Amino acid sequence: MQIDPRIKSRPLYDPVVIRPKAKKHLFIGAGAELDALYASLPQEQCIRVAGGADGLTEALRAELDKVFETLPLASAVYVCGSEGFMWDIRNLSLAAGLADEQVQMCEPTTKERRLFCTHCYEITEGVTHSPQACSACGRLLLVRDHYSKLHGAYVGVQINAEDPADIPETEELV
Amino acid sequence: MSTDSIRVRVSGIEQVSPLIREFTLEAIDGEFLAFSPGSHVVVEMPAEPRPHRNAYSLLSDPRDSGCYRIAVRLQEQSRGGSVYMHESVKVGDELSITPPANLFAPNWNAGKHLLLAGGVGITPFMAYLPELKRRGADFELHYLYRGSSTGAYREQLKAELGEQCFLYDSEAGQRCALGELLADQPRGTHVYICGPEELIAGVREVTEELGWPASHVHFEAFAAPQPGKPFEVELSRSGRTVKVDGETTLLEALEDAEVDVPHLCRGGVCGQCVTRVLSGDIEHRDEFLSAAEREQGDCIMPCVSRASGKRLVIDL
Ligand code: FES
Repeated sequence: MQIDPRIKSRPLYDPVVIRPKAKKHLFIGAGAELDALYASLPQEQCIRVAGGADGLTEALRAELDKVFETLPLASAVYVCGSEGFMWDIRNLSLAAGLADEQVQMCEPTTKERRLFCTHCYEITEGVTHSPQACSACGRLLLVRDHYSKLHGAYVGVQINAEDPADIPETEELV
Repeated sequence: MSTDSIRVRVSGIEQVSPLIREFTLEAIDGEFLAFSPGSHVVVEMPAEPRPHRNAYSLLSDPRDSGCYRIAVRLQEQSRGGSVYMHESVKVGDELSITPPANLFAPNWNAGKHLLLAGGVGITPFMAYLPELKRRGADFELHYLYRGSSTGAYREQLKAELGEQCFLYDSEAGQRCALGELLADQPRGTHVYICGPEELIAGVREVTEELGWPASHVHFEAFAAPQPGKPFEVELSRSGRTVKVDGETTLLEALEDAEVDVPHLCRGGVCGQCVTRVLSGDIEHRDEFLSAAEREQGDCIMPCVSRASGKRLVIDL
């Protein structure tokens, strides 16, 4: 057994590889890594859905719902985009009956994080620094490295609960 | 045993196929616990020179805590547990069992459950079915057997399940075309296999070839411990040496020597008994260690695996 030097509670993004026995390959988002994989497969086995730059919009979701309906059991999904977007796609795939190992994610396209407030349960997008004020309740949240797969977000806890007047210095997130 | 055992009385015995006997067990003190479908218990039978301990799936309705039922197929080639159950156990006898443990639970997120039973492998599914029906789940049962020896409960199942039940009597030339069956399943299907090793291996191969996600393929693969060559094991912490004869498992030999090893399934699947090996070659017979872990050669599952040479040194 070896310990991965990367932080354990953060998701790891290994290189995306083609699932060789899949009958349908669904590519979501844009990116050189996806382009290369897409080009390596026979066209009739592939479905390509653009978008994702603005996250999982209603329109994209409606389009994907239709696409998922057509996928056979032996499918593979490859997604590129922000971390939060890729996990939204993963959760959509599981709801459509696919397994975790059928969904592969590229390295996130940005360092921006989606933040889940453990106090009011609301989401703040595009977080680059910690602490960060929650967009809903305004509490100053420490951005933890702990990732919630269900929310596709990092967990934020109030950093100055004892004394809200105490404003710690901000650090840039990596 | 690692877990507190439960004393039970055999309150009924029924021959459910030419080679399979069903035993109804009642708790001697108090009531049983409800269990989850797919659970098994390890039955301890008082035999000489040491008790037999075999794992059997519970086949009664999981919500019925009044009694537990198990079914035992007579295995002439085995190390004796099933022969003991068939020949020595009578109504009114007392036995010990472990509390139920589950290594073969249904995945309730499945869109469809495809159950594949081979012979006495029907037993865990007998406990699945009432729960699948209560939840209104989509399922099919495909049951492969030999009419003259196994095939327990088949009439009852056909009557209760109708079109959701597919029977294949190999002696009547009825074959289940696994490739077709598994190719033609909707997204979200999970398949569960319980039966002989060849059936499990066959389904795993076919599903892999068809591109199924491995996490949607579930199997119950208790390896009944098989005899092997005798060997010696040195316990590094005490410096003691324990002899393991050909008919005895390493786990049993350690227990005879009063060395405690945690265990649960005694069939090479649960992972509880994993023990560090300091030197000596291992003949891995379990379903728990990964190929990479086997390769490393520093761990053994003593409930089923053995030394491939004459001596092992283990970290106990
Ligand atoms: S006791 Fe379960 S693997 Fe050995």
